[in-house]
Amino acid sequence: MRFVLAVSALALLAQRPAAAAGLTLPGQLAELQIHGFISQGFLLTSANDYLAHSSEGSFEFTEIGLNFTLPATDRLTLGLQIFSHDLGPVGDYRATLDWYSLDYHWRDWLGIRAGRVKLPFGLYNDSSDIDAARTSVLLPQSIYPAQNRDFLLAQTGGEVYGYRDLGAAGGLDYRLYGGTIFLDVKQQPGSPFTVVDLNVPFVAGGRMLWVPPIEGLRLGGSLQFLRLETHLLPASSSSSVAVNLPVMLWVASVEYTVRDLLFAAEYSRWRVRAQSSNPAMFPESLTFSERGYALTSYRVNSWLQAGAYYSVLFPNTNQRGGFAGRQLDAALTLRFDVNAYWLVKVEGHYMHGTAGLSPSLNGNRPLSSLTPDWALFTVKTTAFF
Amino acid sequence: MRIGAFILVGLAAGSLTAEHPRSTYVLIANPASRVSRIDRKFLAEVFLRRATRWPDETPIRPVDLGPDAPARARFSQEILSRSVASMRSYWQQRIFSGQGLPPPELADDEAVVSFVVSHPGAIGYVAAGTPLSGATVLELN
Repeated sequence: MRFVLAVSALALLAQRPAAAAGLTLPGQLAELQIHGFISQGFLLTSANDYLAHSSEGSFEFTEIGLNFTLPATDRLTLGLQIFSHDLGPVGDYRATLDWYSLDYHWRDWLGIRAGRVKLPFGLYNDSSDIDAARTSVLLPQSIYPAQNRDFLLAQTGGEVYGYRDLGAAGGLDYRLYGGTIFLDVKQQPGSPFTVVDLNVPFVAGGRMLWVPPIEGLRLGGSLQFLRLETHLLPASSSSSVAVNLPVMLWVASVEYTVRDLLFAAEYSRWRVRAQSSNPAMFPESLTFSERGYALTSYRVNSWLQAGAYYSVLFPNTNQRGGFAGRQLDAALTLRFDVNAYWLVKVEGHYMHGTAGLSPSLNGNRPLSSLTPDWALFTVKTTAFF
Repeated sequence: MRIGAFILVGLAAGSLTAEHPRSTYVLIANPASRVSRIDRKFLAEVFLRRATRWPDETPIRPVDLGPDAPARARFSQEILSRSVASMRSYWQQRIFSGQGLPPPELADDEAVVSFVVSHPGAIGYVAAGTPLSGATVLELN
């Protein structure tokens, strides 16, 4: 399947290097728009394994997407995107329907989408797979963790959306959604529990972005509620433990674009409660995490962009002390647009702390035993049309 | 050291080759749209695909010039307050997250005029001096 995807995308790139591919359909239907991208990256860390087995250098950083959009009428649009990726232990090149939707745009202030829809959380969550749409290789991982892609990227259900002109006060962009998330049960190597099942009875939330009359400024907030229900089988027992996790996430966002200069900052808190049928086996807890970043990028000319950000992550606000309780990330990026359909990025990170690392990627060693100060170097190239 | 020098050369070259809008442009609409003036903010929302209907409910069909056209650079800077390259990033986000499609890009001024004249609700811009073949010229408020 991945081979077919890659060949299809490359064939389209070869045929139409200068534009999105379009396919005229019979009858009165409008033109089918086809877009796609292929990315290959490389990760190297000075210590610790991050996202993949990066301490020895890893090419397990691949993304392929192909999307089809059909504006069936002036109000109705049908679309879907096939996506396959590999990022260390995540993805494994399985082709999935990244999103698909039936979009009825009744009025500018009210449209409805049904299907599998990208989650609008913060400024960039719904475009986090789209390398060509930003300067950096990795979005600030405190708010957009690539490892949590399955939880945070899309939901199956519906959403209402719209844009309301507020006259002299600017405009309001809003999206409200509700549905569920289908998750594959994946065992964590070294975990003391076996996951018997894992369900998300609901996910609901919304994002509101105010576009004030100051050109280039966007201010907004996003709120998301979801509930995870799972049964875990302890290694030392034959009876499973029911664990429920009601989760609430919110993020406040500001973005300012002036000509080719972009500033963005976001602050977020995630609240996770663990309710257990057997607290002796799986203790109950209430955890607040704190996340944020400030980012800037500048487009020097049509082929060069430079960017930088500083991102902070505290997975448990009650345990900020020690390097295992935090991850501070200072990143610098250069993006080279070789032509309008091909780019190369080079990025360096200085990291302090290990809170964003995965124990399972690091030989199940406790985070407090990993190297506290380390660096990440990454290169990525993307072709898109 | 070599990398630093390369970056400095790139930044210097960038300051020389950055997009400088030069060409003036004329806003045009399909004659059936019955509009002669357009608000700048509304025009921006049309090309960002946030406003999709004329006041009489006719669907608005915006059309762009190609990314290298000088009139496109000027229109993008003046009306959308972003460079053409920045707008391409904006549309990459929209396309691949299923949020919408950009206005079609046509090859040259004549193609834009032809599209606008032949499609009800169409709106575009062309370099000043382009024969308009009956398209309505819009004034900007």
